[in-house]
Amino acid sequence: MLSPAVLLLVITSVYPFFWLFRYVLYDYNGFVAYFTGTYNIKRAFTDAVFWKSVLHTFEYAIGKLILIIPISLGLAVFISRNLPGSNTFRIIFFLPTVISASVYSLIFTFIFAVFRGPLNTVLEAMNLITRPIDWLGDPKWVMKSIIVVAVWGGLGNYMIYFISGLSSISEEIYESCMIDGANGTQTFFKITLPMLSPILKVILLLAITTAFKDYQSILVLTNGGPDGRSHVMFSYIYNLIFAAFSSPQIGYATVLSVLAALIIGVITAGYLYLARKLDDVF
Amino acid sequence: MSSANYIRSNKQKAVIWALTIFIGFCALLLLYPVIYISLGSFKENKELLLGGANLLPKRFVLENYTQAWQNANFSVYTKNSFFLGIGTMILTVIISSMSGYVFSRKDFKYKELLYSTFVAFMFVNVGSVTLRPLFELAVKLKMNTSLVSVVLILVGTGQATFIFLNRGFVNTIPKELDEAAKIDGCTFFQTFYRILFPLLKPITATIALLSFRGGWNEYILPLVFTMSNDSMRPLTVGVNMLRNVGDGAAAWNIVFAGATMAILPMIVIYLIFSRHFMQGMTAGAVKG
Repeated sequence: MLSPAVLLLVITSVYPFFWLFRYVLYDYNGFVAYFTGTYNIKRAFTDAVFWKSVLHTFEYAIGKLILIIPISLGLAVFISRNLPGSNTFRIIFFLPTVISASVYSLIFTFIFAVFRGPLNTVLEAMNLITRPIDWLGDPKWVMKSIIVVAVWGGLGNYMIYFISGLSSISEEIYESCMIDGANGTQTFFKITLPMLSPILKVILLLAITTAFKDYQSILVLTNGGPDGRSHVMFSYIYNLIFAAFSSPQIGYATVLSVLAALIIGVITAGYLYLARKLDDVF
Repeated sequence: MSSANYIRSNKQKAVIWALTIFIGFCALLLLYPVIYISLGSFKENKELLLGGANLLPKRFVLENYTQAWQNANFSVYTKNSFFLGIGTMILTVIISSMSGYVFSRKDFKYKELLYSTFVAFMFVNVGSVTLRPLFELAVKLKMNTSLVSVVLILVGTGQATFIFLNRGFVNTIPKELDEAAKIDGCTFFQTFYRILFPLLKPITATIALLSFRGGWNEYILPLVFTMSNDSMRPLTVGVNMLRNVGDGAAAWNIVFAGATMAILPMIVIYLIFSRHFMQGMTAGAVKG
């Protein structure tokens, strides 16, 4: 009864993982493979576009985390108070998570349209900008726009995680706080946050690993453009393997994939280490 | 938390009102893209090309949908999306519940090792590069011309979480039930599909919804597998291709209609089963 699951695991996860190491030393375009020794590895360390995409990955991940965690926590705290309308809010804020990232990114390309796109139209009507902004084509704005889309799409997930975390804090603690005369802010920082910290750690781990892995919505929004300004590691790798207009460089892409996985691994390990350190302090 | 029964001062009430209005405004802002695209799909193409932030169409037309359905192959895309969603759902439900049952009830050599392998590959992520060997394998097996291969890969890469959920759920069902079934002459498998599987209903509902969503929404995998085959594309791929390949702005109305078709079924399902979706998320995250 276990065999279908094991078979699928071997074919879809184990096999591709080991396949990865097969072409590390080859120049492979999908049809023929030439042995090139350590050329791919040397190239990886001098590939400026790749290392820029690593920087962009950090820019994207940090930007997304800084916005999405406080916003979703704030929403969760508000919704957990069960005021009138809370349930409606919960349903609305979770709604984007059931939509495919590829489709909501497509919708946002219309929202961000330069010529009379909804966003520019509204901002111009409010006199906040004088000239339309090229949200997805201007190197200054593109990453910020992508982060906004990512926050829009992911907010609901973290909100739900936080709501379930908050529901585990017992009501009596809040009551005794009120009796002691604590105000809302004090209650939040002295009670809610510390009580939430075990779950907060898990949520942060999830949030960090997802933020570093995202690339689907970038493929749709900009495909790395303008001029590689919005390429993250995985969107760059994707284009090396499956690009429509140039021949695939699979051997080189496997080297970069291993590097990318290592970078994410180091970040995850670093986070876990820090989280444990913080545990000792508090 | 039922803090609504506390006595509140007027000042507190005012703060809560202000917050509610602010969050309500944010909620509307959040919904704007969804409403914009769904109402926009009823606009005439020339109105879409003019742009602007108006939500309601000046003239309400249905022809975007008839065009998309008849001329732009969206009837096929929709069928493919349903195939991916339902196929992934059925296979995931069957495979993950059986595995969860075995992992919970049977003892065998290397069980823990096997289980940790499942969990480990949940965290190993090397990105899109793994699609390449899978694609080559599918070509070798002559399976690259059918969406079955996409379904199998989706089930395979997504199953670990669901096996995990099922195992947890089976653990909560008393073992006496199995023993009673065994005494009545049920085999190990019969015990599963006559006794245990019906009891798994709550978790099965959640898994069915989440895996359907996974199949319906998947983009990159079917994109790679249908590079040269338009008739295999699901909605997510079809609508995005239209934007790239189509002659620029001319096909906006069809893109709007197509995007609406890609999101509305999912939103309707979500609104009906929203509770299950949210439960599934937290069950997966907190226990995982």
